[in-house]
Amino acid sequence: MDERRRRFEALLLPHLDAAYNLARWLSRSAAEAEDVVQDAMLRALKSFDRFRGGDARPWLLAIVRNCHRTAAKRRASFVSVPIDEEIDGMTGDIPNAFRADTPDPESAATANAERRKLDTVLAALPEEFREVLILRELEEMSYREIAEATGVPMGTVMSRLARARALLKERWLQSEGASS
Amino acid sequence: MSCTKLLTTQAYIDDELDAAAALAAERHIETCAECAALRAEGLAIRKALREQASYHRAPEKLRAAVRQKIGDPVSSPSVAKGGFGALAKPGRSFFAGAGFGAALALAASLLIFVLGAPVRDEMANDVVAAHIRSLIGTHLVDVASNDHHTVKPWFAGHSDVSPPVGDFAKAGFTLVGGRVDYVDGRRAAVTVYRHGAHVMNVFAWKDLGDVKPGTRLRNGYRLLSWEKHGLFFCAVSDTGQSELVRLSQLIQSSDRATE
Ligand SMILES: [Zn+2]
Repeated sequence: MDERRRRFEALLLPHLDAAYNLARWLSRSAAEAEDVVQDAMLRALKSFDRFRGGDARPWLLAIVRNCHRTAAKRRASFVSVPIDEEIDGMTGDIPNAFRADTPDPESAATANAERRKLDTVLAALPEEFREVLILRELEEMSYREIAEATGVPMGTVMSRLARARALLKERWLQSEGASS
Repeated sequence: MSCTKLLTTQAYIDDELDAAAALAAERHIETCAECAALRAEGLAIRKALREQASYHRAPEKLRAAVRQKIGDPVSSPSVAKGGFGALAKPGRSFFAGAGFGAALALAASLLIFVLGAPVRDEMANDVVAAHIRSLIGTHLVDVASNDHHTVKPWFAGHSDVSPPVGDFAKAGFTLVGGRVDYVDGRRAAVTVYRHGAHVMNVFAWKDLGDVKPGTRLRNGYRLLSWEKHGLFFCAVSDTGQSELVRLSQLIQSSDRATE
């Protein structure tokens, strides 16, 4: 294995989970997320010479995001799938993509139901809000890193995050009201 | 009327302010109901997302496919066998059943827990990397024993740190053994426990400097760190937070018992 590829693997492979998690939350499909991540890793390898060093995670996630956009556009030209549909009426109908991959025998059914409820609310948020919450709360990225990954100014990251949190809270409360 | 400092308060809960600005933000929050509510809600949402929302780890077949595509001649099937795929999904019972109201109350009661700025990024990355290495490799333990009378003296002979070791099988945490590992360029004494299908690694160092206890989440793995008697501990696993807290309590009380 040559030195460049060794360096690429050492820097990028540790972020494969982050790449897949983001792709999965953006595409809301396991199969699409796998395609997007494979595509992103190849693109990252091709443009690795442009990587300036430091933490490779925001750099890789920016590529994942672009690959997702490209794939989504390509898909949209074939079929029209309603994206970002309203949460109303969705609470009793959890999309297959968000069922647990493997059953967890330790969790009670109620725990799974709660997890699915939050997953469902999050999955139904508009993409830019869903994305900023994933990066901030599940990846613990800083504003600067999120700005780098999403290609917007830090001020935009801050206002998006504020709106994303407000919207998540509102819809979460709505989903609780609907199920009780 | 909407407060003009809402974004500053948000930056405060996101740990984006320097010490002076953070202090000013804290003072403001004490006097502003709107910002106090924003902070409480922000922390509730954070806890809920970290405890309840799914973190999708890369499936093993994707990992293998990526390795193959980028031309790694060793697209190691051995990793797949004992690797991530074999591990159970994180149990997230800690927060289960809690809706937004309960989340809000819990976040408020755990304010310090959530806000504490714990182990540095590099260190958290290294701990998780060491944890993953221990799961997929052959080097889970140097000394394999469920008897703390065997593991504890082994540390005394092989490490400059002799952390408390207990067998908490009755509480569901079985001692697997111990090893010496390198994290962030330092030798750590690692005690390994098993809880159901989950492996839990507890790292211990001395003289670690200015790290603060607290919790972190990295690649879906959870870290819980604490300090006791000059030793710094960091437990890591893919269990829920409640299991890590429980193990930490058991270790700390066993420490007391042997003094
Ligand atoms: Zn205010």
